[in-house]
Amino acid sequence: MNFLTLAAKNLLRRRGRTLLTVLGVAIAVSVLFSLMALNSGYEKELNKEVNSMGIHILAVPKGCPYEAASLIIHGGVIPKYLSDSDLKNVSLIPGIELATPMLMHQFMKKDERSGKSTPHIIYGINIEEMRTLKPWWTVEGRFFRDNETNVMLVGRDLADKENLSVGQILAVGPNKENFTVVGILDRTGDQDDQFHFFPLAEAQRIFSKEGKITTIAVKVDDVSQISQVSAEMEKISDIQVVTMTQIMGTIMNLAGSARSLLLTVIAIALIISAFGIINTLLMSVNERTQEFGMMKAIGASGLDIGKMVLAETVIITAAGGLIGIFGSIVGSSLIESFVKNMLPYSPRGSLISLNPELIIFALVFSIMLGLVCGIYPAFKSSRLTPMEAIRSGAD
Amino acid sequence: MSETIDAKNLTKIYRRGREEIYALNDVDIRVSNGEFVSIIGPYGSGKTALLNVLGCLDTPTRGSLRLNGIETSGLKEKDLVRLRRDNIGFVFQQFYLIPTLTARENIELPLLFSRKNGNRSRIDEILELVDLGNRSEHLPRQLSGGEMQRVAIGRALINDPKIILADEPTGNLDSGTSKKIFDLFRELNNHGLTLVVVTHNLELARQAHKMYTLRDGQIVRCEDLACVLGRNDLKVQLEVV
Ligand SMILES: Nc1ncnc2c1ncn2[C@@H]1O[C@H](COP(=O)(O)OP(=O)(O)OP(=O)(O)O)[C@@H](O)[C@H]1O
Ligand SMILES: [Mg+2]
Repeated sequence: MNFLTLAAKNLLRRRGRTLLTVLGVAIAVSVLFSLMALNSGYEKELNKEVNSMGIHILAVPKGCPYEAASLIIHGGVIPKYLSDSDLKNVSLIPGIELATPMLMHQFMKKDERSGKSTPHIIYGINIEEMRTLKPWWTVEGRFFRDNETNVMLVGRDLADKENLSVGQILAVGPNKENFTVVGILDRTGDQDDQFHFFPLAEAQRIFSKEGKITTIAVKVDDVSQISQVSAEMEKISDIQVVTMTQIMGTIMNLAGSARSLLLTVIAIALIISAFGIINTLLMSVNERTQEFGMMKAIGASGLDIGKMVLAETVIITAAGGLIGIFGSIVGSSLIESFVKNMLPYSPRGSLISLNPELIIFALVFSIMLGLVCGIYPAFKSSRLTPMEAIRSGAD
Repeated sequence: MSETIDAKNLTKIYRRGREEIYALNDVDIRVSNGEFVSIIGPYGSGKTALLNVLGCLDTPTRGSLRLNGIETSGLKEKDLVRLRRDNIGFVFQQFYLIPTLTARENIELPLLFSRKNGNRSRIDEILELVDLGNRSEHLPRQLSGGEMQRVAIGRALINDPKIILADEPTGNLDSGTSKKIFDLFRELNNHGLTLVVVTHNLELARQAHKMYTLRDGQIVRCEDLACVLGRNDLKVQLEVV
């Protein structure tokens, strides 16, 4: 027999009460744990996503820059355009490694079976420049050449969804021109998997947007020059400049405010469960004062009694912590879909990253919670003189 | 004969509001090594107060107490804990067993606090001594009152104390069971243990070597019964302090 088994047996005396307290701790810890897992996963995924674009700066038509940026990330259309001369001016700015034009077009396509219309996005791109920006692009079939006509690439998810294969011919645009799928991009894991890609000139021709560009994607020589280059770009009158760091910062800010709300909820949950623990302990300590008196009479010191009470608390919180962590791992997909709905922008990858440090942190946190909550009841019971303790029940 | 307990002028005053209650009023008591002493007296006469002071569970307001020659007044709580642990075993009227521990574990409990090893054969020995050999794995609620008190006595014995202080140990037991408990006390006493037992049962109290009577916090009578046990005539020694 040792202090831990003694404490555990004491807790079993009031199973119902102990169980409820453990559950309270479990809920608080699981909320804390999920949030931290989400937080680190969110930042990681967002970084990955922004980096995977291979783009440092976007030039968009003057207007609402962040809406534009978000549309560009998700895909979408801005009803304003830049021109070839803007592209020329941007390319002249020193420090730019590559400036490539893109035209975006969105159309709704009716699914024959379900009858539902879903948005489809077509990117007109310069394939050579795009492959420089995204060197990881590989393809089943082949890439098109910039001067080819009536050809397209499709993303892997899109191909899977629409049952597309290399060599298939699709009718595109207002005039239903036939286009051949010459290649299917291998899975990139980002938004590129959803798009159609056309040679820029073809996209402009089909949708009657000759000479028009939606955005200019810029890669700089040296990332430390991003702010200088973007300042130069701002000087071109039509252009609004958005840097990837700005986009990320904005998203992080939005996520941050959602997060601080959650943090408040968690703090309250933790405080409530802490008071619950303290209350439970004080109750069980008060019930047992005579017993503590007896223990002192048979040789226990105040420290022994305090240790026993503290051991009881730590057992409660450690058990609650374990259950909470286990619960949030099991329920992580549920939590993830819930949180994804709440966040202003969520990356496509898994948001919850379960690293061992986090599990250890949550466990240590639970034990600390037990120590903190147990201090007062332990102190109180250790200070009883044996006489007072034995008498307390008699009066 | 060496004095195991040597108390002089013990006074214990409880304050209840502005009222002072003399639970003990100038009590002198000496208990020799191996002696069996009983204490009787009406309700509220100070029996429990005396036992608690003798067992260092409570400090006297005035007076001195020597246990095995060690002066206890002025000792720190830490030293008192050790003194209690090494010298004194307590038995209470309400047993105070831990309901979730078996008889064996309850007896073992003091070893947890004295940091001695849970020597299994020693516990078995004690279980035999208190006649619970076949009840060792039972929980308190599965035991009778007499058995529970035996567990409590076993628990008091596990640390090899020199003195057993028992406060109305048979207060919750029927007379047959009470007799058996006193038989056990006599047996322990024959093994050399010093015993101080508070009881309301005069018949049982008379089994001791000496019987003190308390009234209003004072010892009003001390009967020497040692010879009663040996011979068959009553030699009553009246002593008013
Ligand atoms: N903590 C206390 N505060 C105030 N008065 C107390 C306290 N403890 C004991 N007393 C008083 O001291 C006196 C002696 O009490 P004690 O418990 O020693 O009596 P007792 O002889 O053991 O009685 P009983 O036979 O009922 O157990 C009583 O008048 C009691 O009310
Ligand atoms: Mg009493």
